[in-house]
Amino acid sequence: MASKILSNKIYPLVFLTIIVLASVSLLVYINSITAPIVEAQQEAEIKNMLSGMFADMDDYKYEDEIYTIYQDSEIIGYAFLAKGKGYGGEINILVGVNEDFTIEDVVIISNTETPGLGSKITESSFTNQFRGMAAGDVALKKDGGDVDAITGATISSKAVVEAIRKAMEEKINLLEGD
Amino acid sequence: MENKNNNKKAGSKSLGAQFWKEFAKGIIISNPVFILALGLCPTLAVTSSLDNALGMSAGVIFVLLCSNIIISIIRKATPASARIPVFIVVIATFVTILSLVFQAYIPPLYESLGIYLALIVVNCIILGRAEVFASKNSVLLSIGDALGIGIGFTLALVIISLLREILGTGSLSVFGLELFKIPVLSASPMTFFILPPGAFLVIGLLLALFKWLGVIKNE
Repeated sequence: MASKILSNKIYPLVFLTIIVLASVSLLVYINSITAPIVEAQQEAEIKNMLSGMFADMDDYKYEDEIYTIYQDSEIIGYAFLAKGKGYGGEINILVGVNEDFTIEDVVIISNTETPGLGSKITESSFTNQFRGMAAGDVALKKDGGDVDAITGATISSKAVVEAIRKAMEEKINLLEGD
Repeated sequence: MENKNNNKKAGSKSLGAQFWKEFAKGIIISNPVFILALGLCPTLAVTSSLDNALGMSAGVIFVLLCSNIIISIIRKATPASARIPVFIVVIATFVTILSLVFQAYIPPLYESLGIYLALIVVNCIILGRAEVFASKNSVLLSIGDALGIGIGFTLALVIISLLREILGTGSLSVFGLELFKIPVLSASPMTFFILPPGAFLVIGLLLALFKWLGVIKNE
């Protein structure tokens, strides 16, 4: 009997289907447990980063890819993501601007730049330079801007600078249009 | 009656001995990385720090153990013609579970392992053990095999990552806790070692070393 089932031509198909169904139901179940935790984590992370930029923030709203920062229901600034193409891959940057559209602070959220060289873009000695700049000043010194590139990591530095300027110009246009 | 008992004892003892034999072989004599030279892609990629190596090892041990157990349980019902897709589905299921759990509970590790966590699916150590061992042996022996190979993999990753992290950064830290810092080296570290070429060099030299030690032993 057992050998009869095993030698049936459809049996491999049925067996594989059962395995896949078991696998999918198990994964759906586990995902239903972990998904809310992951979501809460990401939200907490964003809130943490935003309040690190805007110390006075007590609330924020996310709309059209822009975080609007509130203090006592008054707008005190905006934050948005900038994406750059670095030497090793994508660089994700969170840019915070004040009401007058000068930079409050920038944070490199993720990067895959060369450790020890390009990865220095995350250090405060590099990111602090951007504070107070308007979109027009955001360029490397050799391109007529105000930003010192990291020695040996010009491509990474330039990627960050370009991404921030582009994102600022785009979002400020959007905000001013409102 | 007495005879029967004796037989039973002898049987269980040899099963225990077999278990230890399968367990021990994976650690040194058929170490997956240094001797079988399997799973080299994740080995090269994640050994830039001890943390990543330990996280990857824990992942591989979990997936290897679970997949070996399940594949061994279903081995008699698995049709030979569909066995590879079945193995892959079983392995992929556990890898997905692992990445969901890592993402939810240990996000920093999830971030730093990146794509290599998902790529455990195609780690040939795991598919290799399913095909060579678990699909032909009892659950108990498959557990022994998974643990042995898993620990052998861990041992290899730890050795490689220790060398790379110490030489490449001049310091060593585990889970954010700095263990030591070498004065001159940490000021100007040999960054080369935590970059991909450093991985090839370290693994190549270690393979040569183990080969050489093996040759000496054989003589």
